[in-house]
Amino acid sequence: MPKTILITDDALFMRVTLKNLLVNNGYEVVGEAVNGKDAVEKYALARPDVVFMDITMPIMDGIAATRAIRESDPGAKVIMCTAMGQKQMVMDAIQAGAKDFIVKPFSPQRVLESIQKVIG
Amino acid sequence: MKAEYINPFVQASFSVLEMVLNCKPTKGAMAALPQTFASDQCNIICGITGPLQGQVIYGMSLSTADAIASTMLGTKIKSFDMLAASAIGELGNMITGHSMQILAEAGWVCDITPPSIVRGSNVQISTISIPAILVPIILEQGKFSLTIGLQERK
Repeated sequence: MPKTILITDDALFMRVTLKNLLVNNGYEVVGEAVNGKDAVEKYALARPDVVFMDITMPIMDGIAATRAIRESDPGAKVIMCTAMGQKQMVMDAIQAGAKDFIVKPFSPQRVLESIQKVIG
Repeated sequence: MKAEYINPFVQASFSVLEMVLNCKPTKGAMAALPQTFASDQCNIICGITGPLQGQVIYGMSLSTADAIASTMLGTKIKSFDMLAASAIGELGNMITGHSMQILAEAGWVCDITPPSIVRGSNVQISTISIPAILVPIILEQGKFSLTIGLQERK
């Protein structure tokens, strides 16, 4: 059974790029969310193995969404994937329960290694 | 405008453009812009808020925008559709995000607004009371103009 992934990003380009990369490497993308609220709802329905989460998004940001997902499922594995790599942002993400932090632009290798790291 | 505000954007532009477009950009001559200036045909506008505020505008011709979007998407685009616009917008977002990281390390912790894209000819832009600096960057895909208008919050 392929590992399942939920992608969260408000930018269509990032969703398409990540999806192609993941599908070409044997993962199943079970959903694409366009903001944090959408991610919380889609997580509850799909219960994916891993969530990719952007931070700066409309309606609900990725930090708040990570917190909400981890409250509903303390075992949820969230990887932040954002253009904002400030130290404070990384700390906020880790405190919210994110397992890893990828700064865009990313290399395909970095994304694949991160998944391996969080799902063990 | 202080060089310490400009350099992070130049540094971030080079590093992000090199990685995303797999190219070696070169820097042109920096210039101060008048209060109102003619924009390029395609512009990504990102706002900056916090102790520093203003805008950064990444300008290029329509053909350069098409060429950059094609490189980012790994396929030659037929038209500048939503996906191409999203790619170009994300390029601006990544450069601005990376600049914020460099500015934060220098003690200026700022946030950015989502990018907007303005396309068209004969568009006049004004950063109103914030002086703007132009830094041209030459890419294989064409000229990529970095316009930075930033000031300390009063």
